[in-house]
Amino acid sequence: MSQPILLRERPPGARQLLMNGIFGENPVFRLALSLCPAVAVTTTVANGIMLGVAVLLVQVLSSVTVALTRRAIHPRVRIPVYTIIIAVWVSAIDMVLAGFFPSLYAQVGLYVKLIVAFAIIISRLEVFASRMPLIPTFWDGLGMGLGFLFALIVIGVFRELLGSGAILGYAVVPEKPLLFFALPAGGFFSIGLLMAFFNVLERRRNGGKASAGGGGGHGHG
Amino acid sequence: MSDVNPIVAPSAPSGELWRIVASMTATCAIGAAILGGIYIGTERYAEEARVRGERRAVSELLGLDEGARVLEVRQFLTPARDAVVYQRPAEVGAPGRELVFSLDGTMLHDGALAGTAAEADAVREFHSLGRLFIAMREGAPAGFVAEGESRGYKNRIRFFVAMSADWKIAGVRVVEHEEDPGLGAEIATSWFQGQYVGRELAAVPRLDVTRDPMPEDWRGALRARPGAAAGDWASRFGTVASREAEKPIYAVTGATISSRALTDGVRATILHFRRRWELIGPRLLVPDTREAAK
Repeated sequence: MSQPILLRERPPGARQLLMNGIFGENPVFRLALSLCPAVAVTTTVANGIMLGVAVLLVQVLSSVTVALTRRAIHPRVRIPVYTIIIAVWVSAIDMVLAGFFPSLYAQVGLYVKLIVAFAIIISRLEVFASRMPLIPTFWDGLGMGLGFLFALIVIGVFRELLGSGAILGYAVVPEKPLLFFALPAGGFFSIGLLMAFFNVLERRRNGGKASAGGGGGHGHG
Repeated sequence: MSDVNPIVAPSAPSGELWRIVASMTATCAIGAAILGGIYIGTERYAEEARVRGERRAVSELLGLDEGARVLEVRQFLTPARDAVVYQRPAEVGAPGRELVFSLDGTMLHDGALAGTAAEADAVREFHSLGRLFIAMREGAPAGFVAEGESRGYKNRIRFFVAMSADWKIAGVRVVEHEEDPGLGAEIATSWFQGQYVGRELAAVPRLDVTRDPMPEDWRGALRARPGAAAGDWASRFGTVASREAEKPIYAVTGATISSRALTDGVRATILHFRRRWELIGPRLLVPDTREAAK
């Protein structure tokens, strides 16, 4: 798990938290969390968007729940309690979609079920939501969710364009330029290349100074 | 009474332990209560949506028009696992029917099924073997759909296999699975399921999976099929399709287990259904011929 960076006296503002989730501490490119689902799902942009939106929703709801109940959660069992909170939200969303939005459920049901074991969600609960008040936690959850969605879209565009020669299923080039990128191994290469690219961007932004994070973490789930 | 009870006297570690236990128990109880409430509120709608989806899948697989008549037959294994029960629920104008066969195919019972609550209760203990849907046209079967189940990579895969009246595979449709999106979930796509279509019953026992890459012309043909008129598609891709008719199913890249699970399930379901139909078919359809003779 990546090092907690936001332990200041006063919680940062909304804009700063959103930018931190999307760029500074992007879950995939900077924290290297939840890489397995990121690789499995991003063969197409559409898949990436579905999973990204589902994660965004569960991240915000779980973060807010933890921020509201953090004083009642016994610190020794906080991780199991976080897991239960995530599982309750995931199951609740799953059942509501199945009951009232069957056609949407047919498309996103699988993605929702995947989320219970996402490292990024539980790590934000531990690093941020358990120590911060409600409002900053909401922005952090939203930023992290948007960051994950953004990463999946970028990887999805990269892989679908190179692997299938299409974007969102519409053919852009007649042939498949590099089928390799649509395969699972190509997914890891894609993330590696994009991670390097985002590290370069981050270094430029910081004036040539290498920053913490970015591939140092260990992503599971 | 004046003695301090040593069990109640709080020692720091055990008090801590109790608080942990209480905290976890309370969390689980609240979570369970929330989920239970949502389940009660949504279950009915989820069930309705599932039934609607299945009905649509059956009529699409068999290419039926809206008003076509479909007989539904439920199959059960008795709790003692010594007999198979087939039930055709009663519908308007036709009484229900129940057939019971021993495992070696001897008929044990053939009678009416009234559709009472008591009968529904009786089968609650039974082990379901999936349902059969028989499309009827002018008193004769026009196609069959058999429900099957298989163990996938993550959870069970439930699917429908459609057979035409001349015993070719008319279609395969995965109706419930939890395979990974982008990998195993590809088995539920029309291009993957299209590989089964048109195979002869005689070729089904040899139906297998290969990890060889799918030839590009066949992939193109499978992707072009949804939405294309059957005649157009056959004239454009007929040679490719007949070349592939005896070939194994091409596994989804990175998801051989899911591909094999569905293929094994499809093969077993068709072969079982073929055997069962010889037993139950003539008996289930008897009332229809009687009615036609009147």
